[in-house]
Amino acid sequence: MNSQHLLARDTISKGIVWLLAVPALLIPTIVLCYIFWQAAPVLDWGFIVGTTDGAGFGVSDGIFAQLLGSLLLAVMACAIAAPFALGTALYYRTYASPRQQRLLTAMFNMLQGIPPIVFGLCGLVVLVNLFAWGVSLISGAVVLAMVVLPLLVLNTLATLERIPHGYTEAGMALGLGNGAIIGRLWLPRSWLNLLTGVLLAMARALSETAPIMFTATVFSGVVWPDSLFSPVTTLQTHIFYLAQESNDPQVISIAWGSAAVLVLLVASLGVLARLLYKLGED
Amino acid sequence: MVADLTQADCLRVPAQSLEKPSSNMEVTALQVEQLGLQLDGKVILQDVSFSLPTSGVTSVIGPSGAGKSSLLRCLNGLLTQWSGTVLVDGADSRQWRGGWDRLRRHVGLIAQKPVVFDASIRANVCFGIHGWRQRRRADELVEISLRQAALWDEVKDRLDAPAATLSVGQQQRLCIARAVAIKPAILLLDEPTASLDPRSKQLVEQSMQRLARDIPLLCVTHDLEQAQRLAGRTIFMCDGRVIEEGESNQLFSQPECIETREFLRWSVCDCN
Ligand SMILES: Nc1ncnc2c1ncn2[C@@H]1O[C@H](COP(=O)(O)OP(=O)(O)OP(=O)(O)O)[C@@H](O)[C@H]1O
Ligand SMILES: [Mg+2]
Repeated sequence: MNSQHLLARDTISKGIVWLLAVPALLIPTIVLCYIFWQAAPVLDWGFIVGTTDGAGFGVSDGIFAQLLGSLLLAVMACAIAAPFALGTALYYRTYASPRQQRLLTAMFNMLQGIPPIVFGLCGLVVLVNLFAWGVSLISGAVVLAMVVLPLLVLNTLATLERIPHGYTEAGMALGLGNGAIIGRLWLPRSWLNLLTGVLLAMARALSETAPIMFTATVFSGVVWPDSLFSPVTTLQTHIFYLAQESNDPQVISIAWGSAAVLVLLVASLGVLARLLYKLGED
Repeated sequence: MVADLTQADCLRVPAQSLEKPSSNMEVTALQVEQLGLQLDGKVILQDVSFSLPTSGVTSVIGPSGAGKSSLLRCLNGLLTQWSGTVLVDGADSRQWRGGWDRLRRHVGLIAQKPVVFDASIRANVCFGIHGWRQRRRADELVEISLRQAALWDEVKDRLDAPAATLSVGQQQRLCIARAVAIKPAILLLDEPTASLDPRSKQLVEQSMQRLARDIPLLCVTHDLEQAQRLAGRTIFMCDGRVIEEGESNQLFSQPECIETREFLRWSVCDCN
């Protein structure tokens, strides 16, 4: 009687959890399927490696330039942010007083909460106009670096936190200084996890549209930027412009195609990060 | 608090000078005066005073939680928030030239829990040696250190294997080898034979005694027979204080304090 009662309660709670969980699983799946369904007509190898000259309003050819631009921006943003993130996290773990540690944690949690468009605005005012860098690769990369910095710092901190205290202490007991502890104990032990963080930050940078829209990108006419100070085209903004500006069903399907490629890119970064993380664990 | 300390001071100094009249003139390798330690507002050590001669083994015994490990961690600067004075070779350890890192090379510590680095056995032994060139040319030193830790015969054929593949007892001896490889002038050992079989225990004890001919060893142990075997001096600690200190055979055969007698007989200490 009693156990039956318990069983019934168990079934009910299981049911409720399922009911709540199903939409969370189902909706993204449906969205993904829909994206690929819509993208299917244009998605082929030529689409990915082709370049558009802009004359046909992105209708003709492919999205190679956009793909390159997106990757370039994301890689540069992480290359700029990663050293600072590592430095900040190492400072936090070695020299910072408890008060500074609290301050840093609060600051980066707050920075993470700032909408990326605000960074975009700051970039426009300071980098594009004040520094006269113009709408360019470097402006966009710096702005994106600001966006991903908190994520990278918090990730690096979490990675360093997972190093057991006894491990560090064993190094200290041998008289190793902070430099040797960092270089010979911490980094060899956690570089895979740090790299995981960088990949996740890249995925994040690839998903950002707002901050680069008025600091780095133009609609078309660029394949490979001539210099750091040239504008680029990106997948994110490509989708935005195509979807906003056109009623032509073929243009829309190119937008879907771009979206599918972007999703694949971000997903594969996620999978790669996951693999590296697994590697780092054992 | 301050008044307390000065009072203790007054009581302590004459007692000490009666006990060991020559100790103030003789150069000691390590002299601890009124060491106190609080962690999270809890008193861990109070008024700990003793000194180590320039060679020989000094054992530290006492119940679990007496603060033995904490004491060692204060002496080599892994804990720095203690009060009192620690003189290492006559110099204040807080004002040590080159700071705590240098002091830790001078006062080696082998921790209670063995921790090996994610590297080969060989690299683990050389880990504390300065400079990668010196580490690469350290073959001889690796062998000597591993022999001192009674581990050489077991690992000589697989020096490049990851250290994590060793058993816990072997890891403990690897930690000993790692600490002696940087040639400390004073060696602190926290239960160095706790997870060893009788045979390795005997070997480690022998090499400890060999080391103790040249440098002072401070060895925490739960094994009272080991403390007797190691001879030298013994310090009995309980509840963060030194209860009794003296020549080992003297302390074990005729303990002066009632607490020591109780501890030696029943392994309990009721000192508050
Ligand atoms: N980091 C810390 N923070 C707070 N209390 C601590 C800390 N480290 C140790 N203690 C406390 O200090 C006391 C002494 O600990 P310690 O490890 O020095 O004992 P021990 O004599 O080495 O014991 P055992 O023989 O079991 O190793 C214990 O009560 C312990 O709870
Ligand atoms: Mg202990």
